[in-house]
Formats: sequence, C-alpha cells, structure tokens
Amino acid sequence: MKQTLSLFALAIAAVPSLASAQTVAEGNVGVDGRVAPVCILGDPDPATVNLGQLSAASGPRTGRVATIANRTVLLPASHCNFAGSVLTVRATALIVGDPAAPQAGFTRAVNYTATASGWSGGASAATSAALRDGSNATTSGSGAIQPLPSRADITLTLSNFTTPGDGFLVAGNYSGTVVITLGPAAVAN
Amino acid sequence: MTRSLITLIALAALALPVSAQAQSRDTDTKTVNIVGTAPVMCFAGTLSGTGSYDLGVLIDTTSGQLRSDLSAPAQVLVGSFCTGRSTITVSATPLEAQNFTATPPSGFARRVDYTATASGWTVTPASYQTAAASNTAATQSRPTSFSGDVTVAISGFATTGGQNLRLVADGDYRGLVTVTIAAVN
Repeated sequence: MKQTLSLFALAIAAVPSLASAQTVAEGNVGVDGRVAPVCILGDPDPATVNLGQLSAASGPRTGRVATIANRTVLLPASHCNFAGSVLTVRATALIVGDPAAPQAGFTRAVNYTATASGWSGGASAATSAALRDGSNATTSGSGAIQPLPSRADITLTLSNFTTPGDGFLVAGNYSGTVVITLGPAAVAN
Repeated sequence: MTRSLITLIALAALALPVSAQAQSRDTDTKTVNIVGTAPVMCFAGTLSGTGSYDLGVLIDTTSGQLRSDLSAPAQVLVGSFCTGRSTITVSATPLEAQNFTATPPSGFARRVDYTATASGWTVTPASYQTAAASNTAATQSRPTSFSGDVTVAISGFATTGGQNLRLVADGDYRGLVTVTIAAVN
C-alpha cells in the first residue's frame, strides 16, 4: 500500500514536469532586410553664381563679352552607396530676359563650360553652344563611371565664357543654370 | 506559430515603403543658377576720314555771292553701336568767319547756314538746320540695339540774311557738326 501511494505521488509530480519540457522547445525565425541604393548630392555652395557685368566697359572689346574669371561651386559630401554611379552636368547658356530676336551683330546668349570634378577618374563637362538668338541653349555631358560606392566633395567649375560670333551683348539681365545629376549609370540594352 | 506569423506580416508591411523610397533616391539632382548683367552701352564710332569737311572757296568769285554748287563728301562714323534703346542727335553751328568778327557792313554777311543730317541709325535721319529757330527732327529714337555706320552729311548751304548778300573775305570760315548717340534707360 505504501508503494502504491509513492507511485501515485510520482505520477502527480510527473505531470508538471512534462508540461515544463514543452515551453522550452526551440525554433528559428528568419531576419531579413535591405539597403536601398541611394545617391545624395551636397547642397551647392553657392547656389547662385553672380557673374556681375558680362560685357567689357572699355577698350577695343567694349560691349562684347568681358574676360570673366572662372567660378567654382562646391557640392560637399556627395555620396552614392552603390557601384556604377555617374555624374552628369547639363549646362544652359545665360540668356537675356528680352525675348526679341537680336539685331545683326548682337547676341542674347553667353556660352560657357561647366565642369564637375571629384567624383570619378574623369570629370563631367558640358559646353553650352547656344546660338545668338538664344536657341539650342542646353548641352549635357557625363563623366566616367564610379566603380565603387563613394563619398566625395564635388567641385563645379564655370569657365570659358564666350558669345556666339563674339557679338555685342544685348543689354539686360542674363540667367542660366547648371543641373548636376548623380545616379546610376545607364545600362545598355 | 501565431506570433511568428504576425511578425512576418509586419516585416512585409515595412518593406513596401522602403522599396518605393529606394526607387526615388538612387538619383539626386541639384541646380546652380548663374546670373549676370549687360548694361546699355553706346559708342559713336570712329571717323573714317579726317573729321572735317573742306568746302574750299565758298563764293562765286564773279558775283561774290555764295556758290550754289557747294558740297563736301559725307563723313562716316564707322562701328557705332548701342546695346539697347537709344537716341541719335545731331546739332551744328553755322559756318562763321573766324577773323572778321565785327558786324558786317550792309549788303554783306559773315555766316553761312546749312543742314546737317545723320543717317543710317534710324529710319528717319536726324537733321539740324542752323538757320531754324527750333529743330524737332534733330533727335531720333531707335527702340532696338544697333551696330553699324552713321553717315553725317551737310547740304543746303545758304547765306545768313539772304542769298543776295555777299560774304566778307576771310581765310577761315568754320562751323561744327556734333553727333550724339545716347542710351535710353
């Protein structure tokens, strides 16, 4: 009888032990994630380049485009986190606000070269080739492909200011833009 | 099992916006503006010749009166330009005896009037008559920029006071023509 009671007690004790074994069972849960491709250009400094007076005020070139010093714009801490990026510049000539067709011997456009360097081995450059009436004002150029994820300060240089046919500049306010694009290189079809 | 299923659903929900964001951020673009100005400038050009009209002898030596066939080649202002709207103005002073400065006797004169014109800049040439009390045509406007040559001519000579008057003798009769090209702001 005493032995019977012991077995019963063991049976009772065994119940919670079995229940405890089930709560520590192990399993695997997958952890997944991704890093999206990102390119960020630093904010241009300065955002606006003021060239001042474009035409020579005296001497034999009076009224024609003056000798204009190169200007630089910094796009700091630009980066792409993937391989195969490319930097492109799109330069639009400075055009005077007056839309009237220029008289013979005059021009309403000032061309220049925009060169963005610091991203890859080769600089990205574009030289605008506007006609004297302001048409055909935009030109694009791309540099070499950056084969690695990269972070760099990009320097944009504006240089080589000229006018179509070296004509007299129509009086007025002139404006142009350089659009800098950093992104994946085009994939050939 | 129930907990794992909930977790996976939550991950899928998070993945959707991340994917959309990646498509829009793999390319970045910044714009740099470039500005400048060109003020209105004008240049009256360079005289093609000596800068003077040589009329020679002014009178008909048989009558002592002003010659009726007086003329001189026009002067040309080469390479004139204005980069904006402009006016051209011509003014002139009569030919005047430089040595005989007193009032001439009756029947004589010491001054010759004429008309000066500046053409090529405007549709209507600017003109100035030295004998006129006012010269409304002396200034002409051009609404556009222009570059080219301006021809300055003198003509219509007449003795001040009347053609019947005779000019006093003087080796130096002199007048002056002035052409002004001005920007209009």
